[in-house]
Amino acid sequence: MTEVVSESPEVTVLLVDDNPQNLEVLYETLKDKGYRLLIANEGEKALDLAHRHQPEVILLDIMMPEMDGYEVCRRLKADPETADCAIVFLSALDDLQAKVKGFDLGGADYIAKPFQSQEVIARVRTHARVIRLERELQARNRELQGDQTRILNSISEGIYGLDEQGVIEFANPAAAMIVGAPVEELVGRNFFELHFATGAENPDSLPVQATCRQGIPENQRNIRLLRADGQGFPAEYRSTPKQEDGELRGAVVLFRDITAELAKEQALQEAQALVQEQRDQLAHTSRLTTMGEMAAGFAHEVNQPLTAITNYARVAKRMMARDEPDLDLLRQTLDKMEAQSHRASEIIRRIRRFMKKPAAGKEILAVPVLLEDTRQFAEVDMRNNDGGIEVVIEDGLPDVLADPIQVQQVALNLIRNALEATRSAGSSVPVRVSAGRAGEGFVKIEVRDHGVGLPEDAEEKLFHPFYTTKDEGMGIGLATCRSLIQAQGGEIGFERPEDGGACFYFTLPVAGREVESPASPEA
Amino acid sequence: MTDIQQTVYVVEDDEAVRDSLELLLKSDGKQVKTYESANAFLRDYSDKMAGCIVLDIRMPGMDGMELQKKLNEKHSILPIIFVTGHGDVPMAVDAMKEGAVDFIQKPYREEALLEKIEAALKQDLEQRKSLEEKQEIIRRVKSLTPREREIMDRMIAGQANKVIAIELEISQRTVEIHRSRVMHKMGTHSLAHLVRMVLSVKDLID
Repeated sequence: MTEVVSESPEVTVLLVDDNPQNLEVLYETLKDKGYRLLIANEGEKALDLAHRHQPEVILLDIMMPEMDGYEVCRRLKADPETADCAIVFLSALDDLQAKVKGFDLGGADYIAKPFQSQEVIARVRTHARVIRLERELQARNRELQGDQTRILNSISEGIYGLDEQGVIEFANPAAAMIVGAPVEELVGRNFFELHFATGAENPDSLPVQATCRQGIPENQRNIRLLRADGQGFPAEYRSTPKQEDGELRGAVVLFRDITAELAKEQALQEAQALVQEQRDQLAHTSRLTTMGEMAAGFAHEVNQPLTAITNYARVAKRMMARDEPDLDLLRQTLDKMEAQSHRASEIIRRIRRFMKKPAAGKEILAVPVLLEDTRQFAEVDMRNNDGGIEVVIEDGLPDVLADPIQVQQVALNLIRNALEATRSAGSSVPVRVSAGRAGEGFVKIEVRDHGVGLPEDAEEKLFHPFYTTKDEGMGIGLATCRSLIQAQGGEIGFERPEDGGACFYFTLPVAGREVESPASPEA
Repeated sequence: MTDIQQTVYVVEDDEAVRDSLELLLKSDGKQVKTYESANAFLRDYSDKMAGCIVLDIRMPGMDGMELQKKLNEKHSILPIIFVTGHGDVPMAVDAMKEGAVDFIQKPYREEALLEKIEAALKQDLEQRKSLEEKQEIIRRVKSLTPREREIMDRMIAGQANKVIAIELEISQRTVEIHRSRVMHKMGTHSLAHLVRMVLSVKDLID
């Protein structure tokens, strides 16, 4: 009988009666039942105690001087601190009207005097339990709401709950912050009209529309939304349909202002562009350096056809000086001159193309053509006694996607290094340039020499700027090569072949490889 | 000496330069033979060759400088005109030290080249002439008997007949007979001429 109340020692019961005898009886009835009992013999005192202790149950006498029970009840219900107390009226007035009035004022129950102690105990217990449960429930509710609010408040993304027309049913503080209007002003407004200039007339094509109307989730970046003051801002949003019992009930929209992000991205892009520009600049400088080193070779190369042209011209003049010039022979000689002049301009064209300043950008390249061109280029620089350059291409080699000038620059650099190493070693084994497939979607180009080989610490230093093993070297060659090959999406490295010399290689991505390599289905 | 037919030997790896130079020199009336590499020339070489070599200093395989060394080892007297490119001057200087007669830088003027070729051919002719003279002297020296040779050496050293006779313990008359045979075999009547002739081939005899 007492177990329930004893389990809840904090349950407080306030007894209010102007009659001390009644109070005593009530007190005697309820004491030792595990309640904390408070006693008041008049209305004011009762209100004061109730306000301070928030009792679960108040047994309240109706007929009291000064302030009657109805008035006390009215005031208790008006005070939010005490509004939830269960008020049980006690009165001898055992008529229907009195009871109805008590219930109208918010009373929970009614006990007629003279009361039965068992009835008092039972009713107090019941109401105490109800109030306790109610209070617990409210506490839990508050807690949950608090959590939810905290979560919604702490999310930096704006959140809207929209109905199927796009009317904002819910907005979190972040939404209010982003949009620049208090939550209360946002709720009830139409999302499309609020955020889009054309929202009122032509909402059909707008973002989120498909989610609201058809339940299709959306996700877009860098759309333009209007703030409350009509100014636009770049936003990213994600909208998911809100469904209840399989029916579309609008959408939930998460959105954020990406102004700062875009600015960062912009800054990053600018920095990348700068790096790219500097790399191109360095590559260009390096090409000019290479050309400078090869100047004597080029002069020789251009002088050959020029010498031939001069000779042929002299021969032609002599032929014409004869009484009966052999026109056929003369024409042949002029043809030869023409061929030599094409040869000279071809050499100059090749030099100019190589020295051209900004990289032309990536193209689909045939590796054999590129390497043959580079070989001819490198031969300009060959000295007497050099063993030469062999180019070996694997059959059916796919095209690559790369910047032709930069790739040629790397190949030329490696070939020239190889020639120099060969020369230093006094070897006459030709430098071997080979190209073949390497793994998935790459072509590997190797430059192999039988020269002096590589220093012990090459692994650590070789591709570092300003590291060089050559007396006149600046040490930017290989560092530039690496940066150029990385820009093509390839790799560069070297090996020490067992039979001496060195082998440098680089890889280039096969053109169109993203399109052509779907996983083959299991047979 | 006009029976010697001089040839300009062109050693040049570049086909167009080789072809145009051949045409040019032929149109100038020269006899020309061309080679595409130093090795090709070396295979063909004999000391019967007369004329000059127009040699490209820069060639793959054996270069001009190396060919020059090989020819020097073979005691070739063919004058060499080196054809150089821009920036090859230090190499050309080395070549000159090795005995090249001249060098010309590509691209050259025809006149300059022809002038140098003419000079080289003239030099070749002279060298060849003096070489033939020396070879004649050597042939004559070799026709002397050991005794005649010994007496000639003493004559060149300035010993009088009497001194030679005493030192060789022969009669002065015998010395005189040997002496007139030496003069006859060497084809001269003048001691001064004999001395000049023998000294000119001094390195080649003994």
